[in-house]
Amino acid sequence: MSEIVVDVWLYGGLSKYGRGAEQGSFANLEARLRGGSTIGDLLAHLQMPSRERGITFINSQLSAMPGLQPDMDHILSDGDRAAFFHLNSMWPFQYRLGAAMIRELAEAMQAGKDEGLHHSYGEHESTTE
Amino acid sequence: MWLIRVNMTDLTSSVGPLPDAYQHLGGRGMTSTIVAKEVPPLCHPLGPNNKLVFAPGIVTGTPAPTSARVSAGAKSPLTGGIKESNGGSSWAADLADMQVRALVVEGQAKKNGKFWGLHLLWDAAASQPKVEFFDASEHAGKDLFEVFPKVYAKFGDKISISGCGVSGEYGYGNAGIVYNDPAKGPTRYSGRGGLGSVMGSKGLKLIVLSREGTPGVPITDEALFDQGRKKMIDALRTHDITKPKGALNTYGTAVLINIMNEAGGLPTRNFSSGRFEGAAKTAGEAIFEGNKQRLGKELYNHACSPGCIIQCSNTWHNPDGTEAASCVEYESDWALGANCGIDSLDDIATMVKLCNGYGLDTIETGATIGVIMEAGVIPFGDSQGAINLIHEMGKGTPLGRILGGGTGFAGKAYGMTRVPAVKGQGMPAYEPRAVKGIGITYATSTMGADHTAGYTIAPEILGVSGKQDPLTPEGKAALSRGFQAATAFIDTSGHCLFIAFAVLDIASGMEGMVEECNGVLGTQWTTADIGRVGAEVLKAERAFNEAAGLGKETDRIPEFMRTEPLPPHNQVFDVSDEALDSVYAEL
Repeated sequence: MSEIVVDVWLYGGLSKYGRGAEQGSFANLEARLRGGSTIGDLLAHLQMPSRERGITFINSQLSAMPGLQPDMDHILSDGDRAAFFHLNSMWPFQYRLGAAMIRELAEAMQAGKDEGLHHSYGEHESTTE
Repeated sequence: MWLIRVNMTDLTSSVGPLPDAYQHLGGRGMTSTIVAKEVPPLCHPLGPNNKLVFAPGIVTGTPAPTSARVSAGAKSPLTGGIKESNGGSSWAADLADMQVRALVVEGQAKKNGKFWGLHLLWDAAASQPKVEFFDASEHAGKDLFEVFPKVYAKFGDKISISGCGVSGEYGYGNAGIVYNDPAKGPTRYSGRGGLGSVMGSKGLKLIVLSREGTPGVPITDEALFDQGRKKMIDALRTHDITKPKGALNTYGTAVLINIMNEAGGLPTRNFSSGRFEGAAKTAGEAIFEGNKQRLGKELYNHACSPGCIIQCSNTWHNPDGTEAASCVEYESDWALGANCGIDSLDDIATMVKLCNGYGLDTIETGATIGVIMEAGVIPFGDSQGAINLIHEMGKGTPLGRILGGGTGFAGKAYGMTRVPAVKGQGMPAYEPRAVKGIGITYATSTMGADHTAGYTIAPEILGVSGKQDPLTPEGKAALSRGFQAATAFIDTSGHCLFIAFAVLDIASGMEGMVEECNGVLGTQWTTADIGRVGAEVLKAERAFNEAAGLGKETDRIPEFMRTEPLPPHNQVFDVSDEALDSVYAEL
């Protein structure tokens, strides 16, 4: 299979997985992968555990939220832009109502509680006593 | 509980008991009810018949977390419709602790170059608040960073301050009402809609509150209130967005810069693209990392007002570690950054501080500069040029006055067709072509384009669960209607809107908010009343707007957004007029 190049953006603390491409608060690098590679393959290539990422975009389409990651098997194409956010980011529902999503996430939201009408999708754990 | 009326025409005041009909109102519910009832819809916003109303929320001044909020309301000189603009400050809590549920400023002082101040204090002998007038003319024409220290020096430390800057004296559409921050600086604002100019038009420059001896807010059912408060605290301290060292406390609202940019919804260079190549340099993550480098340690955000446990207010620091500006909110950061093609946090902070000093709304200011850059007055990306334009506004030059009129006014002056405004109010930092749900709220809100008009609450409370497909325009319109009503309730409760982030996902928090209100008022509301109470506020606002000439024909997104596809999604705003009209037709 031919090689594909993915434009990868890593924000906040995830920039450490952009070894050599860190620019303080973010990293931007090109990832060279085998044709047919998925988001899961890209994460493995970056050596980034999926649990450390939250909001994720593929070509400006939302593909994952904290606690909801239906994009692991999404196949990437040459020239795609993939952006991964740390778990301390947010995208409140009212500011993404009607925004573009990949098919897998749209289906997961529809099938989820309240048709996905939430700000985040994981368990909330207090950091205080 | 008291309602205070101040008549600026004859410099008199009256302190009277709160009318029965207003007993269950607070915040936005109070200001919009009084404005709708007492202000002639066709009056000139800067004339003697407009009224400026301040109201703390229902739980403001109590130990309810994150609730030191005040609503300012009037007919807006920017939109020509009703306006409620919300701010967080000790000023809100101090007004509530004085047991003042509404402060109504009426009439107009003689225009002889003189400006007045009000001093509200607690009269222990009479067991009620009292009002004193003072000559504030010495503060006219001055930068608010000069004014505030002098006011503290005169009245002492146990005060809170609100006021207008020079922009309010000039009568600009983008003049906000300023309140003190915890460090006694002039950085907290009821920014939107030109209410600073309503204040200035009355000859009123400052309102000083003395908190000494104030009795505090009476609570009808302490046990119920405390139960609700604990639920709210638990929700806020647990949710990922609002908890300590969570998203807002770490990165502030500017955490949305990178998100909106990746989503292709960050309005760039006057809404000509949804993606800005310099976004990451201006984002919340960059603020956190930049402060860390310049201070040599991590810096988490602080409370804008007493009792806030979310603490999202940030400070950007200069290379030498001194304070550059606070607060660099997402919308300010965007308006003066991506929207103008500017990617320097230092320059953005300089502009935020100038806006705070002159009393300007950062959103309206940045949206206006974006239009003027497209008109060719200065090029996109020209930081120094933008800084100079803000100084023009502050100095009241002819160009500055055109810009101070707001986005729509400046667009007309330069013959522009690409003017991002609804009902004359500049559009905030979320692109309607990329996020169509927020476009529906921008179009239909009684406030003009307003990003705080439609916060999300749970679908079972909205009563839309399973009834509407949120992916259809009709479904989005139904959600926007419910969100707008819920938001009106939260703005009435006195809580900061950001509690909505937690209580959507943690249902007990929503119950807590209602129990807090019931505890204070003695009401028996349930969460099912949230939409009803909010809808009553919206109906009053809508009726005022229609009588003022702002009917459904004005519930529209600018034409260019329907015809020009926005990169990178290359979408237009295609929600039908029928769907937009259904938002209020079915309220």
